[in-house]
Amino acid sequence: MAKELTSESYIDHHLTNLTCGKTESVGWTCDHKYIDEMGFWAFHVDSLMWSVLLGIVFLAIFKLSIPKLKKDTPSGLQNFAEMCVDFVNDNIKSIFPTAGPLIGPMSLTILVWVFLMNLMDLVPVDYLPELAKQVGYSIGAVSDPNDVYFKVVPTTDPNITMGMALAVFILIIFYSIKVKGLKGFLAELTLHPFGKYALPLNLLLEGVNFIAKPISLGLRLFGNLYAGEMIFILIALMLFFDSIVFGLMGMGLHLLWALFHILILALQAFIFMVLTIVYLSMAHETEDH
Amino acid sequence: MNINATLLAQTFIFVVFVFICYRYVWPPILSMMNEREKRIADGLEAAKKADDSLEEAKLASAKELEGAKKQAAEIIEKANARATQIVGDAKSKAEDEAEKIITSGSKNLENEINKTKEQLRSDLSEIVVDTAQKIIDAEIDPGKHEELIKKAAKEI
Repeated sequence: MAKELTSESYIDHHLTNLTCGKTESVGWTCDHKYIDEMGFWAFHVDSLMWSVLLGIVFLAIFKLSIPKLKKDTPSGLQNFAEMCVDFVNDNIKSIFPTAGPLIGPMSLTILVWVFLMNLMDLVPVDYLPELAKQVGYSIGAVSDPNDVYFKVVPTTDPNITMGMALAVFILIIFYSIKVKGLKGFLAELTLHPFGKYALPLNLLLEGVNFIAKPISLGLRLFGNLYAGEMIFILIALMLFFDSIVFGLMGMGLHLLWALFHILILALQAFIFMVLTIVYLSMAHETEDH
Repeated sequence: MNINATLLAQTFIFVVFVFICYRYVWPPILSMMNEREKRIADGLEAAKKADDSLEEAKLASAKELEGAKKQAAEIIEKANARATQIVGDAKSKAEDEAEKIITSGSKNLENEINKTKEQLRSDLSEIVVDTAQKIIDAEIDPGKHEELIKKAAKEI
């Protein structure tokens, strides 16, 4: 190995995405050396790849359950699919009874897809990055395996969570305008809470309130998962000490944190779904303030 | 941690997945679930109806059975009465017959006795005449004493 492995470089390595982007000097490249040159038009290939892969897994699971749905005694996969659909439907009915036909499938997609992405957190932190290093090295993409960066959990990438929050935000604006009209939507942002003479102040307050929705939605998921991932990395660092006691302790802690983390993974996926439903429900409300 | 075009890509991917789910995954699952729910509800209702009709049928059959029992009892009673009547009739008829037979028998017997008596009388008169003739023989003239003999025979 060319570079010395320190705890700092280990953590750094785990928190860096495999990034491909356009540079001035060499054009399109995935080389980490040019990462600062890429600017905005860069893509986190690892995050996107896992995100698409897990999305396909989600669609495949639910699509595969369909041919068996005709039976009166569902089993296995079909039970799981129906349970998820039922769960999502129950939530929508209680939060947003007048929901249109898009809300259900979107909520289901968010719930299962985000959960699957979160679930990648339970794969031991070094397995897939090390595998990627060897693959990258053996196909000759890099001269040093350590130059291959690979982040496995898409939801620890703010681009992924904010990307989904952005889609929800666009939907909020779309439904607000569709239900209340452009005028009603703008009035809601500007004529409240202090009346029309304090319009700039109103816009400031309501604007912050409005913008805070997608930001908090995306950052909540990112923050929880990033912190969880960070703790896994820190626990993995315990194996750096040349001590069997610390090593065993690290393994125990890893197991404990993984068990506890299952709760967070499911909960965050659920919260993302519920908040999406709540925000879209609020976008449909036409009450006068 | 830096924001870049990954965000836009993810937004696009999200929209695509939601669309696929909206178009191809959600509706069939939901419609099949609703269909089955309806089928189960229908089945339960049908079961309830069948239960009700079973109850009705049970009541009807019980009623029928009771009627049949009553009828059977009536028939048996009638039959018993008829049997008693028949036996009584036969008995009285037999008694009559027996009486008749007895009466005719005794009449016959009487006739026979009378006949025999007559026969005996005539036989005896002949025997007496014969015997008397033999005893008295020539001394007595049958023509002369016929009146006297007949008188004697009648007195036997």
